[in-house]
Amino acid sequence: MIRTQISLTETEYAAAKQEAARLGISLAELLRRSLRTMIPADESRPWMRHAGMVESGDPDSSRNIDAVIYGQKG
Amino acid sequence: MARKAEAYVDTSALIAFVDRSDTHHPLFRRLFSAPPALVTTALVVAEGHAWFLRRYDRVRGLQFLAMIEDLRPLQLLAVGAVEQEGAVRVMRRFSDQDLTLTDAMGIHLMQKHKIGGCWSTDFHLGLAGASLVINEH
Repeated sequence: MIRTQISLTETEYAAAKQEAARLGISLAELLRRSLRTMIPADESRPWMRHAGMVESGDPDSSRNIDAVIYGQKG
Repeated sequence: MARKAEAYVDTSALIAFVDRSDTHHPLFRRLFSAPPALVTTALVVAEGHAWFLRRYDRVRGLQFLAMIEDLRPLQLLAVGAVEQEGAVRVMRRFSDQDLTLTDAMGIHLMQKHKIGGCWSTDFHLGLAGASLVINEH
């Protein structure tokens, strides 16, 4: 690990702390995960940085797309 | 298309790839890590983008579009009036099913281009005989 310093606005810092707390991870881990979404880990497969980019909490997420996009019947 | 597509990619495959909560995420993570030539349409991209707008926000929506740009093995098939007529024929053939126009377009294009494989978690895409990848793994 390489230690570094960054500057954030108070708003950015508060939002980042809140999101880290929501996910149950440290602020440093949140920033590392955020960086990984911006920097391709493998230049030959840049799309893989997007794998698992969200965590909806729904195990049937891909089967519930129509309900999300088009709404429920009735 | 530079080389013949081996599979059609449905919206559900893209969402399973990006959503680590999804049951099929490990499968699609593995499939997309070494993909063959793939095709989809702008309808699928629009659905994926809409999913992010509805569930998250415009920032995540733009990240999804960036993923589509990064996903170089995925080619977009053109969709115009002729293809829409084909999709409507599919919807009439399967009028007992809740097919979206995007589903029907996928079924039509797989038949038109003789694409036997389908990356989807939605059984609708297999109605006309396409082989769903989730049933093979």
